[in-house]
Amino acid sequence: MVGGNNAQGSLQLKKLQKKFGSFVAVDDVDLEIQQGEFLTLLGPSGSGKTTLLMMIAGFLDITSGDIELDGLSIANVPAEKRNFGMVFQGYALFPHMTVRENISYALDVRKRPKAEISARVDEMLDLVQLHEFGERKPGQLSGGQQQRVALARALCFAPPVLLLDEPLGALDKKLRVEVQEQLKDIHRRVGTTFVYVTHDQEEALSMSDRIVIMQDGAIEQVGTPQELYEKPETKFAASFLGKSNFLNLKDGLHALRPEKIDIHPAGQGDVTARATGTIRSITYFGSVQKFMVSVEGDEELEVDVDSWRNRYPLKEGQAVDLTWEDRATVKLRNG
Amino acid sequence: MQDKQFMRETLFEGAEAFKAGRMNRRSFLTLCAMAGVASSAVMVGDAEAAANEIVMWNWGGQSEECHGNAIGKPFEEATGMPLRFDTSGPLQGKIREMVDSGNVTADVCDGDLFDAIALGPSGHLEAIDYDVVDKAKTLPNYAVEHGVSIILYGYAFVYDTEAYGDTPPNSWADFFDTAKFPGKRSLYKWANGSLEAALMADGVSKDELYPLDMDRALAKLVAMKDDSLYWGSGSEAHSMVVNGEVSMGMVWQNRGRNIEIDTDDRYKLVMNEALAMPGAYIVPKGNPAGREAIMKFIATAQDPAAQLQLLECLGMTPSNPEAFAMIPEDQQPYAITSAMNIDNVAFNDPVWWGENGGDAVNAFLEAIS
Amino acid sequence: MIDSLRKHVSPGWVLVAPFLMLVVVLYLGPILNILWLSLTDPEPGLQNYQKLYTNDTLLRIIWTTFRICLITTIISVAFGYSIAYAMVHAHKKRQKLMLTLLLVSFWISILVRTFSWLMLLGHNGLLNNALETLNIISEPVAFVRNELGVLIGMVHYMVPYAVLPLLVNMQTLDTRVMSASRNLGATGSQTFFRIYLPLTKPGIVAACLLVFILSLGFYVTPAILGGGKVLMVAEYISVQLLVTLKWGTAAMLAALMLFGVLALLYIMSKFMKLSTVFGGSTS
Repeated sequence: MVGGNNAQGSLQLKKLQKKFGSFVAVDDVDLEIQQGEFLTLLGPSGSGKTTLLMMIAGFLDITSGDIELDGLSIANVPAEKRNFGMVFQGYALFPHMTVRENISYALDVRKRPKAEISARVDEMLDLVQLHEFGERKPGQLSGGQQQRVALARALCFAPPVLLLDEPLGALDKKLRVEVQEQLKDIHRRVGTTFVYVTHDQEEALSMSDRIVIMQDGAIEQVGTPQELYEKPETKFAASFLGKSNFLNLKDGLHALRPEKIDIHPAGQGDVTARATGTIRSITYFGSVQKFMVSVEGDEELEVDVDSWRNRYPLKEGQAVDLTWEDRATVKLRNG
Repeated sequence: MQDKQFMRETLFEGAEAFKAGRMNRRSFLTLCAMAGVASSAVMVGDAEAAANEIVMWNWGGQSEECHGNAIGKPFEEATGMPLRFDTSGPLQGKIREMVDSGNVTADVCDGDLFDAIALGPSGHLEAIDYDVVDKAKTLPNYAVEHGVSIILYGYAFVYDTEAYGDTPPNSWADFFDTAKFPGKRSLYKWANGSLEAALMADGVSKDELYPLDMDRALAKLVAMKDDSLYWGSGSEAHSMVVNGEVSMGMVWQNRGRNIEIDTDDRYKLVMNEALAMPGAYIVPKGNPAGREAIMKFIATAQDPAAQLQLLECLGMTPSNPEAFAMIPEDQQPYAITSAMNIDNVAFNDPVWWGENGGDAVNAFLEAIS
Repeated sequence: MIDSLRKHVSPGWVLVAPFLMLVVVLYLGPILNILWLSLTDPEPGLQNYQKLYTNDTLLRIIWTTFRICLITTIISVAFGYSIAYAMVHAHKKRQKLMLTLLLVSFWISILVRTFSWLMLLGHNGLLNNALETLNIISEPVAFVRNELGVLIGMVHYMVPYAVLPLLVNMQTLDTRVMSASRNLGATGSQTFFRIYLPLTKPGIVAACLLVFILSLGFYVTPAILGGGKVLMVAEYISVQLLVTLKWGTAAMLAALMLFGVLALLYIMSKFMKLSTVFGGSTS
């Protein structure tokens, strides 16, 4: 590939730690990132995900531990020598340069031949569908277009790894879904390892090969979106990714997703009720209806029902039976 | 603490100056703003120069105390009119501007006699009333239509005795001879004295200086330009010598004594061929105290006693021949009109300077820059 | 009548009008007076301006002024740039200290500074004495009383003026842009010359304009530190006003400086939006 290097793009983070004074921002992170995968670091703000990304990029020194690229330590390699692409929050485009100049920058500073640069920039402009905007300045582009320029700029020198720091944060909701699709498509086409930071769980679920859930500087759980959703290991993982009810059973705390509960008017269910209660509120979301059901012991369970498949005309205050299958509940580690 | 005290004093001085009308409103307000005090906080009072006092426009420093004692006191005793000062410096341009603006706030300017020649014909000055002021009480050529010389000052030079102790320089020819007397020189920046000194150095007799041969004078000056510094104020001239920047320096002759003291007699004053300059009292047209009062004031200043006091206080030499013989012995080496010096000095021609001074200053500036 | 006026004049103007008039009278008045003087003193005509062709000295003084101001500007802005850069990248606490020190230097009178340089760099000054004692030199070096002295004095005075616009400019830069450049493989110097420097161009231009225009009016420093031999336009104007009474020449030179500065601004405006230079928005 043009402008690239021999790196394959697998990353190994070993006992990685970052302290700011006495504050531990990233704590003993061990993580294997596969070549070509789309890995998302997901967590609330302050969870250490951006700090981790900045250490991978080389903008922050590591306090202890090691980062390896294809098995070779890069902990002491400066940012400009790591050859990682990066899409910054707010894009950080060069405002005084045209779109073409922005995209060709990485190749310009590597002093590649003019013809090669020009061809590669054309290729990139095609990739992000901005061909007619090559001579514009970033200030003359929309947010979505700027985001695509930032992506093209970061991919132009064919980096083995692309780091993305909340790249969709500045876009409105509708545009964000559209760009997610494009981003996934581009990832499929270029085959580069993507390390993606976000606090948006939907974004993480829809795009990632694997998700790393982080909290307080440490990894909470790693897995495919499905693994994380279906088999959350901790209360935090279960509640941060999707919604969950928590049940204190004899053998410990269990998570139960709201859509896995069936709701029936009291006494009308086909199977034995797992819980009984009364409907406190009903919220209608179109495809889904959300029931908040007060059950014994002052607890409340959320039940999501597919509007189309709901067989009963239920009202607030009505007594109901709740049922679910055995496999619907997941036992949590720390509970 | 120190700073506040300083600002307060500055402001008080400013307020008084404003009262005495020696400062325009704008610089007064600037001063107030600098001190961080609203102008309303200061008593402005009757700020305009009034008819019942004399405002002398001069250069400040000790001259306030000296003129106050020598002339102000006897005049106030005789007429009841006190003497006040505006120390902003009566340059020709400022006098012209003051009269043109119609806001005349000074009664008498402690200026040069050539100012009287330059500003008189254009109507900016009151004519001297020689029924009150006595022409005989100054040197013969130094009582002109619009001004009269009260004191003389002069351009002489000092030299470094450590550099030239064995064969000391004694003339402007020596001053300009950097081959025989190697070292740096300092000269007055605004041409006066410097031009005459150059001509005397080039062989012109001290009695045949005028009209000045500008080309000849400038050629002499330019030849020494690389070894010359030029000063614009007395303190600058003083520091150039005291700091050892020059081994011979033109100075105002009344500074000579201070320089000798400050350098423990390392530098010596040479009065031979010094250029005597007639300092003069000139009166802006339409002065607030009126012509009659100011002429009386000038007449008071002609008194030998007053002039001798100015000599004692400021080192300025009397121009009234009556006073020449009364110059005290310790002042005689420094005084222009003392018996030991009067025949060796050259006398400035105020008429030539009044008529040609502007062009001469420009030509000089152009030559040295 | 009043209604039709209201249609064409926004009420804001009515509020501003008295102050606007005051500014026009107080500001434009004297300028027009200077122009008038330059065309009428000592007699009506263009003879004051003709001097520019006939009088070599005037051209030499203007050239000296221009040269010294230009060198002062280049050196001051270079120093100012490094200082501003250091300030922006210093810790908040140190940044405040640096800013305070910078502002303190504004309060020191130019006369005091000028004489301080004489004491430091003069013939018998601290530096020359020290160098002589250490046997590094045998004769005092002429740091002052020449054009070098003027430049030292002027640069010293102008550096804080150069720092402020640069500081404002640098503080508004998005540091992520510089990170992006490094991330894309640019070395430190590549990032500086390709990204940082172009992005600080408005600050540089503002600093240059400010320093150059202020330098044009310098008077005390050249007079004292130049040893009387470095004659700049401002001092020449003052001599013409106060000593030689050639007000026409003075007015002509003042007008020339005014139009010189305006022409400079006009030329700059052809190359860039001046509003960005003076702190307006960049987009």
